[in-house]
Amino acid sequence: MATIDVIMPQMGESIAEGTLSRWMKKVGEAVKRDEPIFEISTDKVDAEIPAPSAGVLTEILVQEGQTVPVQTVVAKIDTEPAAGTGKPAASAPAPAATAPVAPAPFAPSPKPAAAAPAPAPSAPKPAPAPAPAPAAAAAARPAAERARTGHVAEGNGEMETAEERLRRRSTPLVRKMVAEHNLDLREIPGTGIAGRVTKNDVLGYIDSGAGAPAPSALPTPEQATAAPLPRGPAAPQPAPTGVEPWEGDRVEPWSRIRKLTAEHMVMSRRVSPHVNTIFEIDYTRIAQLRAKKKKDYADRGVNLTFLAFIAKAAADALRKHPALNAAVSGESTILRRDINLGFAVALDWGLIVPVIKHADELALLGLARAINDLGERARAKKLSPDEVQKGTFTITNPGVFGSVIGTPIINQPQAAILCVGSIEKQPAVITVDGSDTIGVRTKGMLSLAFDHRIVDGADADRFMADVKKTLQEFPEAAV
Amino acid sequence: MAATSATVPSRSAAGGLPRDQLLELYYWMRLTRSLEERLVNLYRQTKVVGGLFRSLGQEACAVGSAYALRREDVLSPLIRNLGSMLVKGASPVEVLRQYMAKGDSPTRGRELNIHFGDVEDRNFVGQISHLGDMVPVMAGVTLSFKMRKQPRVGLVYVGDGATSTGAFHEGINLAAVQRCPLVVIVENNRYAYSTPIEQQCAAERLADKAAGYGIPGVRADGNDVLEVHRVTREAVDRARRGEGVTLLELMTYRRKGHAEHDNQSYVPSGEIERWASENDPLDRYVKVLTEKEGFSPDALAAIDARVTAEIDQATDEAEASPPPEALDALEGVYADPARMPVLWYREGVRSAVDRHERPSSWGTHDG
Amino acid sequence: MAEVTYLEAIRQALFEEMERDPDVFCMGEDIGKYGGAFKVTDGLLDRFGAERVLDTPISETGFVGAAAGAAHMGMRPVCEMQFIDFVSCAYSILTNYVATARYRAFLPCPMVVRGPSGGYVRGGPFHSQNPEAAFLHTPGLKIVYPATAADAKGLLKAAIRDEDCVLFFEHKYLYRRIKQELPQGDHVVPIGKARLAREGKDVSIITYAATVWKALEAAEQLEREDGLSVEVLDLRSLLPMDDEAIAATVKKTNRVLIVHEDTVTGGIAGEITARIQDLAFEWLDAPVKRVAAHDVPLPYAPQLEDFVLPQTTDIARAARWVAAY
Repeated sequence: MATIDVIMPQMGESIAEGTLSRWMKKVGEAVKRDEPIFEISTDKVDAEIPAPSAGVLTEILVQEGQTVPVQTVVAKIDTEPAAGTGKPAASAPAPAATAPVAPAPFAPSPKPAAAAPAPAPSAPKPAPAPAPAPAAAAAARPAAERARTGHVAEGNGEMETAEERLRRRSTPLVRKMVAEHNLDLREIPGTGIAGRVTKNDVLGYIDSGAGAPAPSALPTPEQATAAPLPRGPAAPQPAPTGVEPWEGDRVEPWSRIRKLTAEHMVMSRRVSPHVNTIFEIDYTRIAQLRAKKKKDYADRGVNLTFLAFIAKAAADALRKHPALNAAVSGESTILRRDINLGFAVALDWGLIVPVIKHADELALLGLARAINDLGERARAKKLSPDEVQKGTFTITNPGVFGSVIGTPIINQPQAAILCVGSIEKQPAVITVDGSDTIGVRTKGMLSLAFDHRIVDGADADRFMADVKKTLQEFPEAAV
Repeated sequence: MAATSATVPSRSAAGGLPRDQLLELYYWMRLTRSLEERLVNLYRQTKVVGGLFRSLGQEACAVGSAYALRREDVLSPLIRNLGSMLVKGASPVEVLRQYMAKGDSPTRGRELNIHFGDVEDRNFVGQISHLGDMVPVMAGVTLSFKMRKQPRVGLVYVGDGATSTGAFHEGINLAAVQRCPLVVIVENNRYAYSTPIEQQCAAERLADKAAGYGIPGVRADGNDVLEVHRVTREAVDRARRGEGVTLLELMTYRRKGHAEHDNQSYVPSGEIERWASENDPLDRYVKVLTEKEGFSPDALAAIDARVTAEIDQATDEAEASPPPEALDALEGVYADPARMPVLWYREGVRSAVDRHERPSSWGTHDG
Repeated sequence: MAEVTYLEAIRQALFEEMERDPDVFCMGEDIGKYGGAFKVTDGLLDRFGAERVLDTPISETGFVGAAAGAAHMGMRPVCEMQFIDFVSCAYSILTNYVATARYRAFLPCPMVVRGPSGGYVRGGPFHSQNPEAAFLHTPGLKIVYPATAADAKGLLKAAIRDEDCVLFFEHKYLYRRIKQELPQGDHVVPIGKARLAREGKDVSIITYAATVWKALEAAEQLEREDGLSVEVLDLRSLLPMDDEAIAATVKKTNRVLIVHEDTVTGGIAGEITARIQDLAFEWLDAPVKRVAAHDVPLPYAPQLEDFVLPQTTDIARAARWVAAY
């Protein structure tokens, strides 16, 4: 029977005392090594403090709400006599940067337990914050830890310890996974040694929907939705609504894709003030050109669609109206150099938005071919990650389902999205030899949703006017 | 100390050899000496790289002994037994190519000087530099003759120095106890590099070592080619009859250094000159041929000319050979695999990980 | 078919190969009438005669060199080292002559050098060695070290049939302790291919010879007590080594523990570690760790030997650590 002291740690050089804000364990409860047992609050940080050894909590000497000097014994733990768990870790966090990463070598827990080393009583530096329990994989990390990690990564001049580096850099596998998914390692809770992020942590993080932009992130094909997932920082979790199922109702827990989509939609509407402007386009000339050239294109293996013409017109217009090919960053507008058109593709299981990079540099044939190809490969699940990234403007086409006018949601972090309504023969007023008469024209609506923080109405309408003009006066030579 | 081995007194020449064979012995000795002289010149022109080892003064040992073997008998020569290899069928051009590190040398540039062999046809096994090791190897070669009941014999040379090695001891002991058809020739040329025989072994007669193995030991004058031939022939015949191993000690003298770079500063002054003038095997044999056997000096001169012409032609041929291809260095370590891989930084850096490789262990967006 | 011990499996291989090929013969100390120090060659003399089962003098260099010479002539000698600890007596001729013969002289050496290896038997420093590290860096030699009776038989056959010199290490601790039903027919195991002894997905243990069994024990324990799924890869061929199998297991579990009985410094675990990080660095989610013998000559007393050598508990602990990293 060996008893060890648990002390109020020093969470910063200038900190002299701490308030014990909450006990997480009761007297008589078993504690595992490194398991958080109490919370403290200091001038600088709030933190959960881990048990230095496994055992049983035998005495609590400082109550919740009490403020005591640093190093005060707050509790006692009776360590078990069994080998390997009684002694404090061989690896105390060193005061200097040369501390080796030495996690408890023979951790008794079978799960990849958080294994931050025990705080040394006389360590002048703050004790490392514990990693959260494995069950809370999706929870944000303790403030202290986040603060510390951010602190180090920004390079404030202090030499980082080996553990800090491990939390910042993890292992080759994890770094590769994080890079592949465009994640931020600092945002992912770590359950590995010294609180580092493990492969399973990354997988869990992705599955929990906390931000991963996988190519198969798929909203369902509803006309209002045309927004695939952002690459940026994680969206916060939607708040629970307290809605109950009734008898006979079927409850479908959200798939990962559904979760990601839901978050994105809410975020996009919240972030961008959406305004819509709608233009009617006369596609008669396009229809003629298309009929004329369809076979030539087909001979070259390309299906010439209305969408290709619209894409060409939009790409050309974006060159002249850079505000619509932009993004918001803090209090700046990023005007993108490249014009990368995203195309919403409806799949059986949802929507995906493959991107044609440098769409403005393609002639109509190239654009049509690229649209065909991306559509095919999207349906065959053969897109590569960079084919769904870095779009600067999106075109969605619910017109094929019959929608006449859409009010789409902007695909963040872009500035606008163009929605193509159905294209049909309509009666119209035409002027023949100076006199007006009713004729048949092929017509459809184009609606643009734009972010009014950086696109004003006039910009949007001038853009759309150019698109309309191009489509209605499409040069035959360009087909 | 009583000798336990026999010293064979020199008898008169001929020893039953027909005249053409007498001349042949001369031809081989002359070829050996002249080829080595050519090698020295090439060495001084840096056309030969590595070390150059001469057998000046020991030609009779090598030639006379090898001459007692049949084609199907197997020979294991050392660096100072060039003569024996030539007798056994190695060609001057092969030797030159070896020395010049050519790609078509018998070892394809992998081994130096006369460390090469041929067990398919001419039957000699190239040595390695670790002295004494060839004795166990030849014990094994001749063991196979015994096991297969083949009437073949093995002949292995060791120097005076090599008799000190464990490998020599283990090999000859094993061969003796198994009654292998093996002849072991100790060429006692008085020096092992700079170590004189007195510092090599306390025994006065190396042939006496035979007693320790339960085999006959014979000592003979190594600079008398006919004598060498005779005693070797007797030992070879003995082996062929199934009577086991014989140890022959041939007394001779090494007139040049261990290798060309050795200036022989350790040799007492006058010693080399004395041997050169009083006991040169070629001079002695010329005397025997002309004075005892009645050959004309012209006949010998004709052989000399023939030798020179052969060596000239071989030199031209060898010089025209190409060096080895660098990548050849990776072949033939094993039968399988036939080739060892080139290291990664030689072929241009290739990623060990295919950029697009997505093993399922990453567990991300499968399918 | 009845189960057969590891030792009997080796004897069977010798019998079958000597029957099949009249050029195969055995050389070694006390292997004839006495049947060998461990009785591996028991019965061979009676069946094949003294010409093919040679009792040699105490001359490791002598008979290894002789084996090479006989092999040049087309025979297929199998040399027995009474204890593999004595192979070092033949180190020079083996590495300088035998290993290089094909490369420098186009002289093949289709021979086998075999002998009882390894510890856990209270044999002291000269009857317990594992010499694979001494020969791993010698191009021209091959090295195999089976852990099962079936592999012992299959690999010895492959070794005898191989055109180059194969060092065949047999673990004396396993001789009579493991039994297995052997596959029927001419069972040959290819040299250069590892064997997956146990499948798993959390941690890989790469090992060979007696520690394979300890690793399997540890794996069972870890599954029962910790819920860990441990994969065990039995290398069985050390030169050439199965790089593909090594890479595959690393890519599968991302966490590797290498276990062997030889010392930690200079033991081949270092080579395997280098290969892993060459082949699969980006798949590592934990450092590659080793469990091996302490760097001391192997002592005799049970308490000392057990301390020095890797035990099942060591493997379990180390695997747990790697899993938790």
